[in-house]
Amino acid sequence: MANAIYFDGHTSARHDVGVTLAARTLQIVTLDGRLLAEWPYEKIESLDAPDGLLRLGLHGSAVLERLEIVDSTLAAEIDARAGNVDRTGRHRRRQRLRVIGWSFGATVSLVAVAWFGVPEIATRLAPHLPAGVERKLGDAVDVQLRSTLDTKNLGAAFDCGLKDSEKPGRAALDKLIKRLETAAALPVTLRATVIRRGEANAMALPGGQIYVFEGLIDKADNPDEVAGVIAHEIGHVAHRDGTRAVLEAGGLSFLFGMLLGDFVGGGAVVFAAKSVLQSSYTREAEAAADGYGAALMNKAGGNAHALATMLAKIGGATEPGMKILLDHPETKERVRAINAVATAPAGPPLLAAPEWAALKRICAK
Amino acid sequence: MTSLDTATGAAGGVRFLGTRGAYWRLLIRGAVLLMVTLGIYRFWLVTDVRRFLWGNTEVAGETLEYAGTPLELLIGFLTALAILAPVYAGFFIAALDLGTIGQLSGLIAFLGLGVLGQYAAYRARRYRLTRTIFRGLRFHQDGSAWGYALRAILWWGVTALTLGLAYPFQLASLERYKMRHTFYGDLQGRFEASAFGLLWRGFLMWLLVLAPLVLAVTTLVAVVDWKALGDALAAGTDNLGSRIEGGNPQLADVIVFAMLMGGTSVTLAALLYPTFQAVVLRWWLGGLRFGEIGTTSSLRIRQVYGAYMRFLWYGLLFAIVMGVLSIPALMLVGTVSTRLPGSIAAEAVSSGALLVGYVISALGFSTIYRATVLLSLWQLGAESLHLSGLTALERVQASGKPSSAIGEGLADALHVGSF
Repeated sequence: MANAIYFDGHTSARHDVGVTLAARTLQIVTLDGRLLAEWPYEKIESLDAPDGLLRLGLHGSAVLERLEIVDSTLAAEIDARAGNVDRTGRHRRRQRLRVIGWSFGATVSLVAVAWFGVPEIATRLAPHLPAGVERKLGDAVDVQLRSTLDTKNLGAAFDCGLKDSEKPGRAALDKLIKRLETAAALPVTLRATVIRRGEANAMALPGGQIYVFEGLIDKADNPDEVAGVIAHEIGHVAHRDGTRAVLEAGGLSFLFGMLLGDFVGGGAVVFAAKSVLQSSYTREAEAAADGYGAALMNKAGGNAHALATMLAKIGGATEPGMKILLDHPETKERVRAINAVATAPAGPPLLAAPEWAALKRICAK
Repeated sequence: MTSLDTATGAAGGVRFLGTRGAYWRLLIRGAVLLMVTLGIYRFWLVTDVRRFLWGNTEVAGETLEYAGTPLELLIGFLTALAILAPVYAGFFIAALDLGTIGQLSGLIAFLGLGVLGQYAAYRARRYRLTRTIFRGLRFHQDGSAWGYALRAILWWGVTALTLGLAYPFQLASLERYKMRHTFYGDLQGRFEASAFGLLWRGFLMWLLVLAPLVLAVTTLVAVVDWKALGDALAAGTDNLGSRIEGGNPQLADVIVFAMLMGGTSVTLAALLYPTFQAVVLRWWLGGLRFGEIGTTSSLRIRQVYGAYMRFLWYGLLFAIVMGVLSIPALMLVGTVSTRLPGSIAAEAVSSGALLVGYVISALGFSTIYRATVLLSLWQLGAESLHLSGLTALERVQASGKPSSAIGEGLADALHVGSF
């Protein structure tokens, strides 16, 4: 009457045994009728096994006794008596559904935190960062930025205005920055540099470093157009947008990067999610910087309309990665908003004709 | 199918009872759930996968039992997160410091996380072993995870310095360490495959992949006049091309040759990879010992190629299906962006479509790889085994306790996980 196999959990020896179903216990007996073990039904649990085999053990026991039953009639009878035996897997399926439900909830909550929470935290945190920390943050970003943007144009320095022939241009830029900086009266010192890049673009880093791309100077028709874009970038510095972006990027990569794990290359998903989220953050920041830039140009006695002209010319792309906005209706809206703030210029252009000519040659070929 | 009809010791073989269909179903369901739960489901999927593989692997008439639970993995992962979060924050702050520490922080992070990854891999192996039950006894592992991590990192350094030639010795040394700290009950394991044996079998492959690269580099060094090239580069951008050509008339030819050789090397590596995998797997399986229980493996190289062919075939089918399905998605994106040109909605729809497309393809290919190559390697490896000395199985004594899943959690957070 051997109808099962038993392992006693102390040795690996296999025992052919008989199983008797008593009123409250399952009895395991040897072929010659000796009682080997007696299991109360409420402590019996079913364990992982291939199809067609019911593997039983005692719940919470340190000794790994195992009883293996192939006979399906006997298996069904045990299932009926022992509550923790999940022969059909129904119990496990129900538990799994609960897990899926809660995981889905966690996903929704995670995305909500990424979308609303992270920007809110970054916005609240950025103004409280001491200037020294912000400066360091900017220097770290600067190293990264230079290594990605510097094409190492075979001998020519990345920064313009270093060579003797470029020095007058540098002096003109300094004059322009001085004028804007005095009007802005920021707590941080501004540092502006023209870099050898063909795109018509400019950017502000945390801590007051502003980069003007060579392509922007080429495209500008008068000094106020360059000044307007720089004023816009000063707006980013004043609003600490760069610092906020760094904090947001850090927060997002932490949130997704650690939780997504390694089942698929999660890194690319993180990157994609980040760029989608961040492009939505920057819209408001751009509008605010436009307003600031126009007001600053008014204050400095420049022509604030020039920022609008320049923006229309380059299609609104004043940040790398914002190229999507080319010919964007939003650009028209931005131009309109700037023109609404701009007043008629109080005096002549911010640079005299010879200075403007020098600035145009700041990146001598 | 039943474990009643084979007597212990009589059958020396290992069988795999699982069906491909059941494994496919498990993986596809898992992939869908991974997607909607942003990956949180992975603890359940990993457990399902192990239950399937363990439970369907029959050794001498008895199947293995995987006793781990998803909840243990989740807790292990959360513990790892608690440990790693401050470490990551520390590296982030250190990177902002422009002093020596800041400059070196990348290197320190790389080395530190490398050692931690190996530590995690060893602890994770302990978790898996203590959750593996066979004939009512559990496997376990002792030894020091830090000791293992240090060995592993040093060996990786040696392997890198010898351009891979030391790899067999690395594998053998690390495997000896792991196996002599592995126990089935009170039966101690060991690893007996010889590193020279693997070196002998893999040497030709190593030569074939490396020789074109060495040839390319030596040609570059020998033919190019480096001084002239340096001077030409230093002199500025004007007429750079002609000046480079003046100093190095053969430069263009040499670069073309180097690129051809590099391409040859990569192609050979890709074509030979299944052979390499088969050779290593067979060598490893043949070296496993538990007390007087020994193994030999009769794995054939062409069987592994078969698995890869299946992967390529399913991968191609999947790519075609994805291509067809992307047409309506692209049409939807097109409609939205023409109706609402330049709006945030249009941008969100197109970015969203891109993201979903990426996630589905990545999960799809990873599922296909698991269901073809990985399952086949497991099944082929198991079925190729011949065990000897199985009478020892009658008298093994219980020993060892279950360990925590923290290693699994660390491995997961550090992205060094495996089965």
